[in-house]
Amino acid sequence: MYDYIIIGAGVVGSAIARELSLYQAKTLVLEKENDVANVQSLANSAIVHSGHNPEPNSLKARLSVWGNKLYEEMEKELDIPLLRTGAYVVAHNAEEERQLEELTELARINQVPEFKILSFEEALKDEPNLSKTVTKVLSLPTTKVTYPWEVAFAAMENALINGVEFIKNALVTGIKKEFDYFVVTVNNHIEYQCRYLINSAGVASDDIAGLIEKNVPFHITGRKGEYFVIDKRAKGFVNHILYPLPTELGKGVLITPQYHGEILLGPNSELVEDKYLPTTSFAGLAYVKEHAAMLADNIPFNQIIRSFAGIRSTADYDDFYIKESLEVKGLFHLGGIDSPGLTACFAIAKYLVNEVMNVDNIYQLNPDFNPYRKKRVMFHKLSDVEKQVLIKEEPMYGNIICKCEKITEKEILEAMRGPLGSNTIKGIKKRTRAGAGLCQGGYCEEKIVKMISKEFNLSPMDIAYDKENTKLFTQETKVLKK
Amino acid sequence: MIVDVIVIGGGASGLAAAISVKKRNKQVLLIERENELGGILNQCIHNGFGLEVFKEEYTGPEYAYKFIEEFNDLKIDYLLNTTVIKLVKNGDEFVVTISSTAQGLKEIKAKAVIISSGCYERTRGQIAMPGERPRGVITAGSAQRYLNINGYMVGKKAFILGSGDIGLIMARRMHLEGAEVLGVAEIMPYSNGLNRNIVQCLNDFDIPLYLSHTVTNVESDDSKRLKAITIQQVDERFNPISGTEKRFEVDTLLLSIGLIPDITLLDDLSVEVDQKTKSSKINQAYETSVPGLFICGNSLQVHDLVDNVSKESSRAGNCTADFLENKFKPRKKINIIPGKNILYVAPQYLDFGWDFTDLIISFRSSKKLEKAIAKVYQGDNLVYQKRRTFVVPAEMETISFPYQELNDSQDIRVELEEL
Ligand SMILES: Cc1cc2nc3c(=O)[nH]c(=O)nc-3n(C[C@H](O)[C@H](O)[C@H](O)COP(=O)(O)OP(=O)(O)OC[C@H]3O[C@@H](n4cnc5c(N)ncnc54)[C@H](O)[C@@H]3O)c2cc1C
Ligand SMILES: Cc1cc2nc3c(=O)[nH]c(=O)nc-3n(C[C@H](O)[C@H](O)[C@H](O)COP(=O)(O)OP(=O)(O)OC[C@H]3O[C@@H](n4cnc5c(N)ncnc54)[C@H](O)[C@@H]3O)c2cc1C
Repeated sequence: MYDYIIIGAGVVGSAIARELSLYQAKTLVLEKENDVANVQSLANSAIVHSGHNPEPNSLKARLSVWGNKLYEEMEKELDIPLLRTGAYVVAHNAEEERQLEELTELARINQVPEFKILSFEEALKDEPNLSKTVTKVLSLPTTKVTYPWEVAFAAMENALINGVEFIKNALVTGIKKEFDYFVVTVNNHIEYQCRYLINSAGVASDDIAGLIEKNVPFHITGRKGEYFVIDKRAKGFVNHILYPLPTELGKGVLITPQYHGEILLGPNSELVEDKYLPTTSFAGLAYVKEHAAMLADNIPFNQIIRSFAGIRSTADYDDFYIKESLEVKGLFHLGGIDSPGLTACFAIAKYLVNEVMNVDNIYQLNPDFNPYRKKRVMFHKLSDVEKQVLIKEEPMYGNIICKCEKITEKEILEAMRGPLGSNTIKGIKKRTRAGAGLCQGGYCEEKIVKMISKEFNLSPMDIAYDKENTKLFTQETKVLKK
Repeated sequence: MIVDVIVIGGGASGLAAAISVKKRNKQVLLIERENELGGILNQCIHNGFGLEVFKEEYTGPEYAYKFIEEFNDLKIDYLLNTTVIKLVKNGDEFVVTISSTAQGLKEIKAKAVIISSGCYERTRGQIAMPGERPRGVITAGSAQRYLNINGYMVGKKAFILGSGDIGLIMARRMHLEGAEVLGVAEIMPYSNGLNRNIVQCLNDFDIPLYLSHTVTNVESDDSKRLKAITIQQVDERFNPISGTEKRFEVDTLLLSIGLIPDITLLDDLSVEVDQKTKSSKINQAYETSVPGLFICGNSLQVHDLVDNVSKESSRAGNCTADFLENKFKPRKKINIIPGKNILYVAPQYLDFGWDFTDLIISFRSSKKLEKAIAKVYQGDNLVYQKRRTFVVPAEMETISFPYQELNDSQDIRVELEEL
């Protein structure tokens, strides 16, 4: 019997797992995917917003301002990557300048730190490619960029070393309540029991609720966002995150420099019929291009290396829905965690555990809790001297496997090992960025296959891209070389 | 220590360049990141290499072996399993940073550098292909490597986007290995592969070629494996025409949508880039805008025939030796401009400081021409012309003529006149 079962290992489920590992409680995380951060937390803008635009007094406002601050702590404890870009919200004319003032007022009420209004000329100094059509800018220095996959890895890895259990490829298919405990069915045949159940299933959170509730208190509709990725060789083209003014559709198409140097253009915002199906379209991507061009001049469109889409879990309830079920005691929902859910994830976890579930009334603190996570080496970010020192200790840092992102053999080995090690191509890409660059894995995938094969003693025939059914190869042939 | 020449890349280009430099008694160090020499040739186990250079047809590895033998006979120094990660120039010296398990991170200095780093394959991301992102969409060259070097097939039922040579060759290869190949779609109204490959790889196996078609949707199954693709005809502006959709259930979509010269190593040097070749601009000595930095092979322009790579690279090697012998003096240079029906030219400059008898220009046509005359003008002056038949964008053309008569103040222009 577990004390807690968490359904879903996106950034929210992972942050909750870590928060619960502070207590002497037995926690299990169930995730239908073959890895953490594979759905909403996989495909987003990666921004830790300042909290400047949610409605005052909403949970979104409170948890994003708080969440933003928590990232600074998490950088120290969990080695979470942060790129302190700051952000500019831009206005193009008198009407937009008026809206910018309203937004500034919101930022003030939401207690966003350090915001200020800049003239076009002032903004241009730090952002030479800012569109010449911009007239005024709201500067938000606390807005920054993280690396969403690493957020989930960090939180989950730390949860695991503090005693949490994690099962992947575990699709929750049924929930029953017996007296004072839950029976959670996975993949239609395995049962787990727990006292409290946490539903952090993202776009599926209403469907999970529907497994046990008659009247689900919120419904999720998917809103798709499409992106272009510009190669990191264009680094420095913009330094800040550039936002247009928000509309009822959300924050609009942005230009966002990323932690590893690449630049995102997007997202658009479009209702989708199938909330599980992220697709890109000619029209959507054309919209992204057109709208990005309102923010900056000279966008290096010729350096685009990829496009992708993510689906936001938008609820008909117009705030985060973080509450105990009205029908079933002990069941807690995290519904409608769309943007700024990444920003807020650590605050969401603390809010849920301390203010909604009041865990400290039920369980003792875990005296062995270790808040720190082993630092991950990002070899290409080191100075030449640091590199040389490391290579002396470990020559495998000298062997470049991914030529575009300059990822070394040792980093890939590390990604396969450890509490959250992966044996898939996608898992290794998420952990190291091997295959995320210019050639998109065309060069290094083959080398990584060999490494996985060796490390796990697997035949290449059994190696998958991601889930079980995505095996790389369908048959062996005679080796014909030379 | 400072070496005369560092050659980056040990494929057909690097081998030929290194050999010709060495024959001029210069010190050469070749650096290759793979565990063997030969480059892309190692995975091209089909026939069709060497007809021009050796007057005989070899497989890729056989062709490479011919050069590797000579390379070894000349006792040229080389490093395998070693990646060049950085290239800068300090004064007159190049500093090449290498990384390997054996040597760690190390700087090597050179008086001249030859870039023979080959090319990389254009990916789905660069053409913003719509739809989902399942496993099963893979570049043809990667699939070829898996199949020919490692012995694994990436699918059983395939469709191919792009009629580049690798795609055509892979269509036949997968068919022969027992896979079903449902067709090849090409967005242009003509094929981008060699004609012999269309005949031998598609027609001989009844694999349909859909010209003016592209992939407009990609579908995946529940586990995110490719399930189906949709192709559509496109108009002259490449917009899909509705009503022309054809859906194919396949587990693999191979992409053969173009090769791009890999010049990422030049990022820290301010070389002038040609948007058409997507590589560095050069003068007739294969020298970039950085003195002493030479470039050839697929990293200069994507070649369809390896014989041209070898010839070009050995000329580049000779020019590098000339450079070391100070056989040129700074003089005026003029532009070589692609004119009517020409996609690109290389070299882009004629530099009068270099003293050659002939000017050799490579180019590709921008459309298919049954009969044409290649003409070179300086101003209104026709300085050279040659008849050509069956000129297609898929096949690189080369012309060569003496240029002593040209003046050094007017650009020259290459044109293809349709007959
Ligand atoms: C286009 C886009 C841009 C965004 N940009 C930003 C941004 O810049 N800043 C920001 O703060 N926020 C942003 N967001 C929002 C942010 O990404 C999300 O709020 C956050 O990722 C939500 O995390 P999550 O863990 O709730 O959801 P998810 O990551 O979706 O996790 C839910 C998990 O539940 C699992 N699951 C579902 N059903 C089951 C089941 N039956 N059994 C087992 N497991 C199940 C899923 O597989 C999934 O892994 C953006 C979102 C999108 C889509
Ligand atoms: C699939 C395919 C089929 C072909 N079929 C034919 C045919 O039938 N007939 C024909 O005549 N021609 C054919 N060609 C064309 C011809 O074979 C190639 O153009 C030629 O081999 C390219 O040689 P290269 O040396 O320029 O490039 P490559 O062979 O790609 O060599 C480049 C080398 O540089 C190395 N390198 C790159 N960067 C670095 C770095 N930073 N550090 C260290 N090393 C580095 C690479 O590892 C590689 O070995 C074909 C080409 C391909 C791709």
